[in-house]
Amino acid sequence: MLTLTSPIETRLHTIAAGPKLAGLALATFGLMLTQSMWGIGGAALFVAGVYTAFGTEFARHGLRLLRPLWPFVLIILLWHGWTGEIAAGALIMGRLLTAVALANLVTMTTRLDDMIGVMERLAQPLARLGLSPRVLAVAVALVIRFTPVLMDKAGQLMQAWRARSARRVNWRVVLPISLMALDEAEHVAEAIRARGGL
Amino acid sequence: MSQPPSPPFAGISLEQAGYAIAGRTILSDLTLSLTEQRIGVIGRNGSGKSTFLRLVSGLISPTAGQVRVAGLDPAKDRKAMLRQLGILFQNPDHQIIFPTVGEEMAFGLRQQGLDKAEADSQVRAVLAAHGRAHWEKEPVTALSQGQRHLLCLLSVLAMGPNTILLDEPFAGLDLPTQTRLSRSLAALTQQVITITHDPAALQGYDRVIWLEAGRVRADGPVEATVAAFRAEMDRLGAADADTDLTH
Amino acid sequence: MEKNVAYIALFAALIAVLGLVPQITLATGVPITAQSLGVMLSGTVLGARRGFLAALLFVGLVALGLPLLSGGRGGLGVFAGPSVGFIIGFPVAAFVAGFIVEKWRAGIGIASFAGALIGGVLVLYLFGITGMALVLGKSWPAAALLVGTFIPGDLIKAVMAGFITQGLAKLRPLSVLSRA
Ligand SMILES: Nc1ncnc2c1ncn2[C@@H]1O[C@H](COP(=O)(O)OP(=O)(O)OP(=O)(O)O)[C@@H](O)[C@H]1O
Ligand SMILES: [Mg+2]
Repeated sequence: MLTLTSPIETRLHTIAAGPKLAGLALATFGLMLTQSMWGIGGAALFVAGVYTAFGTEFARHGLRLLRPLWPFVLIILLWHGWTGEIAAGALIMGRLLTAVALANLVTMTTRLDDMIGVMERLAQPLARLGLSPRVLAVAVALVIRFTPVLMDKAGQLMQAWRARSARRVNWRVVLPISLMALDEAEHVAEAIRARGGL
Repeated sequence: MSQPPSPPFAGISLEQAGYAIAGRTILSDLTLSLTEQRIGVIGRNGSGKSTFLRLVSGLISPTAGQVRVAGLDPAKDRKAMLRQLGILFQNPDHQIIFPTVGEEMAFGLRQQGLDKAEADSQVRAVLAAHGRAHWEKEPVTALSQGQRHLLCLLSVLAMGPNTILLDEPFAGLDLPTQTRLSRSLAALTQQVITITHDPAALQGYDRVIWLEAGRVRADGPVEATVAAFRAEMDRLGAADADTDLTH
Repeated sequence: MEKNVAYIALFAALIAVLGLVPQITLATGVPITAQSLGVMLSGTVLGARRGFLAALLFVGLVALGLPLLSGGRGGLGVFAGPSVGFIIGFPVAAFVAGFIVEKWRAGIGIASFAGALIGGVLVLYLFGITGMALVLGKSWPAAALLVGTFIPGDLIKAVMAGFITQGLAKLRPLSVLSRA
């Protein structure tokens, strides 16, 4: 399945996932505490600089990932334009965009395998509660395998629907897709049992 | 490769075994001792062949009588069955649980106690032995139905169980692959129990069991059983076969 | 064990898929996706514990960088964005929905509607609004006002969750684990 990791190799790709995540957590915390326009502005410039240093293609990809935020940017603009607290609005917007861009940067430069590795390490203490890291790894693999399978099924159902109806596809497909999820779950459980269970 | 020594093979036995679900009896009154090297299972659609295989492999428990594999209950002792039985499902999509070929094949080996490196190297060896070395990193969705079927079979073979249960192993495979595969299967030292609709695939088998409506209709050497089966199928085919599909 | 893992994983996948099927647009012009319907169903079909874990697995995979949120969003960025409360609220919403279906022995359809309404709408919006208020630096009522337009869509989803769970219980009584 597609991941959000950027195919453009950067220097950040070579840093291990753990330190990157720790750095991100610290930086995000710092951003939340910063109340000065200079602080936020500086951070924003720095992050933008890192993106552009990795090339225009990479930077454009990063911008695309910020696109879903536009309604909120609009709301902040309108709101603070209305109340006249422009500076406060700029601070909120700058903090939001910088924090999201920074987090996206980590996602874009870390391979899924490495992230799963970190997750398994973090979940190690849960082994004592009966959740072995292996079970977690199987669960993750199952989601990655079956999301496209269910998606295909949804696509087929919608096609079959369109072939026989002039009306737009609606959510009637949710019942058959859910039914398929249940049936697949039974098959998967049996397939795991066939190889010794968990 | 470090595998624990497997317990002595004592064969598969069923005693008065039956299976019913949702108020319907699907298998009944099966008393069999399966010790031959090569056993075929034939029968019409819906006669209970796949259910029989699932019962023998311990994926379902008998609702009557009992099933024993090497003296153990295959439905209870799943871990022990890993060395005893490997099953190939009729539908490969019901068998594959991992996103890539390598992961799918490695899973069973890790279940047998191999560590990741050992499992990975054995996966590569099995793939290479079947001329599919380039499959290792492929996503399973990139394989065709027949290729996925082969993947399931290779996953089972990689685990090296004492008995291999095959539910229509050749359905959907192209001719070169079928030929290569039947050669590999014929060379196996393990016991093989195969469901098939193709009597020709039973050449060289020691025994054939013909199931009809969940019971043993005939059981014996290949020639006689297959001949009786063929005669009956021809009779039904001539007499508008599906009039009895009313149950 | 493997049965629980299989159901949990398949419902995490279902939540993802429902976020990716085309959205519908309400008469008010507000586009809605079926993703939170998937969260509701995780609870009403699988029950509290498994529903919670299915939604948690989904959220975890989003954090790992899979683009499973509606509109193909994902990665760590969404946890710094205004929708963070809704995403973190998914597991809790599923838990509450499942808890109600397990404990309230009314007909499964009506219990599922109630569970989806309380867990998948009320509880989810409590989380969602709080997150939005924090990220956007607004008061709680102001944030509530911002997301209010989406509430009619979620009420429709709660009704659908009731019907769908009822349908599944009829078709696969043994698989609806919240009541099995
Ligand atoms: N879980 C189940 N619930 C209800 N009926 C079932 C179930 N599993 C199998 N059956 C029924 O049991 C009968 C035997 O099924 P089975 O799959 O074993 O047949 P088969 O001999 O393998 O057929 P085919 O040649 O088509 O593969 C069929 O009538 C089937 O509908
Ligand atoms: Mg069959």
